[in-house]
Amino acid sequence: MKKNTADYSERFGLVIAFLIMIFALSLLSDRFLTFQNILNVLRQSSINGIIAVGMTMVILTAGIDLSVGSILGLTAVITADLLHSGIPVVFAIFLGLLLGSSIGLVNGLLITKIKIPPFIATLGMMTLTRGLAFTFTQGKPITGLNEGFRFIGTGMAGPFPFPVIIAAIVFVAGYIFLKKSRHGENIYALGNNETAAEFSGIPVKRYVTLVYAVSGFLSALAGMILVGRLDSAQPIIGQGYEFDAIAAVVVGGTSFTGGDGSIWGTLIGVLIIAVINNGLNLLDVSSFYEQVVKGVVIAVALLLHRYAKKKN
Amino acid sequence: MHLKEADLKDFLRKYSVAMILLIMIIALSLFSWRFLRPSNLINISLQTSIVAIVAIGMTFTILTGGIDLSVGSVVALSGALASGFIVRNGFPLYSAITLALLIGVGIGMLNGLLIVKGNIPPFVATLAVMAIARGLTLVYTQGRPISGMGDDFVYWGSGKIGLLPVPVLILIIVLILSYIVLRHTQFGLYVYAIGGNEETARLAGINNDRSKISVYMISSFTASLAGILLTARLWSAQPNAGVGLELEAIAATVLGGTSLMGGYGGTGGTVAGAFIMGVLANGLNLLEISAYSQRVIKGVIFILAVMFDIYTKKEKKKG
Repeated sequence: MKKNTADYSERFGLVIAFLIMIFALSLLSDRFLTFQNILNVLRQSSINGIIAVGMTMVILTAGIDLSVGSILGLTAVITADLLHSGIPVVFAIFLGLLLGSSIGLVNGLLITKIKIPPFIATLGMMTLTRGLAFTFTQGKPITGLNEGFRFIGTGMAGPFPFPVIIAAIVFVAGYIFLKKSRHGENIYALGNNETAAEFSGIPVKRYVTLVYAVSGFLSALAGMILVGRLDSAQPIIGQGYEFDAIAAVVVGGTSFTGGDGSIWGTLIGVLIIAVINNGLNLLDVSSFYEQVVKGVVIAVALLLHRYAKKKN
Repeated sequence: MHLKEADLKDFLRKYSVAMILLIMIIALSLFSWRFLRPSNLINISLQTSIVAIVAIGMTFTILTGGIDLSVGSVVALSGALASGFIVRNGFPLYSAITLALLIGVGIGMLNGLLIVKGNIPPFVATLAVMAIARGLTLVYTQGRPISGMGDDFVYWGSGKIGLLPVPVLILIIVLILSYIVLRHTQFGLYVYAIGGNEETARLAGINNDRSKISVYMISSFTASLAGILLTARLWSAQPNAGVGLELEAIAATVLGGTSLMGGYGGTGGTVAGAFIMGVLANGLNLLEISAYSQRVIKGVIFILAVMFDIYTKKEKKKG
């Protein structure tokens, strides 16, 4: 695999860009480098981080998952409804996660069995699941959730918010899966060259299906944290989240052609996006600029990574 | 036996759109007596015209094997800009519209340059531009609708020439122009050639870059035009106009028989595809199915249309 100096300098450049941003923001606002604000940034980025880990795996196979935000929305309202029906919290969580994984599995099957291009299959699934969320709730939010369930979103473990702990576990698990297991090696291999991977006996279709199921699972998990924190499951929840997750992966240097990228790059990407959002808030920039800034950041990051690769 | 089957598939591929549309119209006129009223039919064509115009531009990008996810945002931006130029800056009607169209085309050029010069896959490049254009719309409108453009602006969305609403008339003109460009110009030939096989097209001496940038400019132009017509029909520019419109435009294109792999299809089918969705939405309304369930149905139809496209394409390859 491509582990050369150019690759390291690219990742190093990302870290430096991140540090410069932090330094600049700490000069511009004295509220930025406070313990409270840093925890705040971490808490806010945990949801995007969890989704972005799944998105990284999907993009490593040269795919994309546009349905993550809608899967989050549908699993959130259904889990909330299950909690209202009085079944045990653990059971409701389990069913919600199962639903998310199943929708992801259907994405994977549409892509591998019927050969629909990933962004089209997941675009259709995005509309479909969002429609289901609205149909299920008739557009109304489900509020007043079980205290035990809300711990997922609001609880603390020592000084750290529980969502941050979950996100950390997801990142470490993602790293181990991708870099320390045979499966990860196979995913990189099929992302690099699908035909070659198939010839060398890697069950390509099974792996591709798997990454979409994982992405669906993680979207559902992120949804539970969000609902736990807000104490309200609205059918519109999670709309546009696919964009932040893709942005984080792209900024982190994972290539859209597949087979090249890492979980750590995505982690830095997630933090950069979160710090940009936080910085815009602290500097009182109108939230209307948020999308412009994010779009520009994605485009610039893509161009820079492209440039770094070419130079190499 | 095999030959017959291949013939059937070919026939299905060519005329399925028209047949589906016809069957739907017959079924709906049996289900609801209101469906075939002239006022309802004119209403359908008016509602479909906006999506159809956007989808015609989308067809150009898909024919080259690309995609344009930014159309919905461009619709909102151009509508807001044209309205803002009139209401805030007091520009004359046609200068405001022309300027808004030009800026729209500029955004298409940005798409094209990112894709061709930046070597970024179309769906990511246009996804980034989708966010930028939506953000610019929010910044420009400050999140509030703009209204008060005057009757001569509103005419473009709500006026009629004879029986035909103006947007429908513009759809017909855009359709004819797109047909001429695709079938009777060298550029049209290039569009199909690039979609068929980009490498071969390059070796044949076609300037791929310029043609590819052009299709994204065309797509943004039709989106801007649709945005202005939509704003004129609603009497106000909404900052969240056109959200999700890219999905409907892609669905219309694919339903119309244009292959997502590029190189096969045309704008006539696309307009028929848009009308299938328009008739369907109208029928669901007449049958009093909730707007929420309609979203689910749209998603299912979208996936089914793509599956059909892949199914017929596979048969073609085999034959």
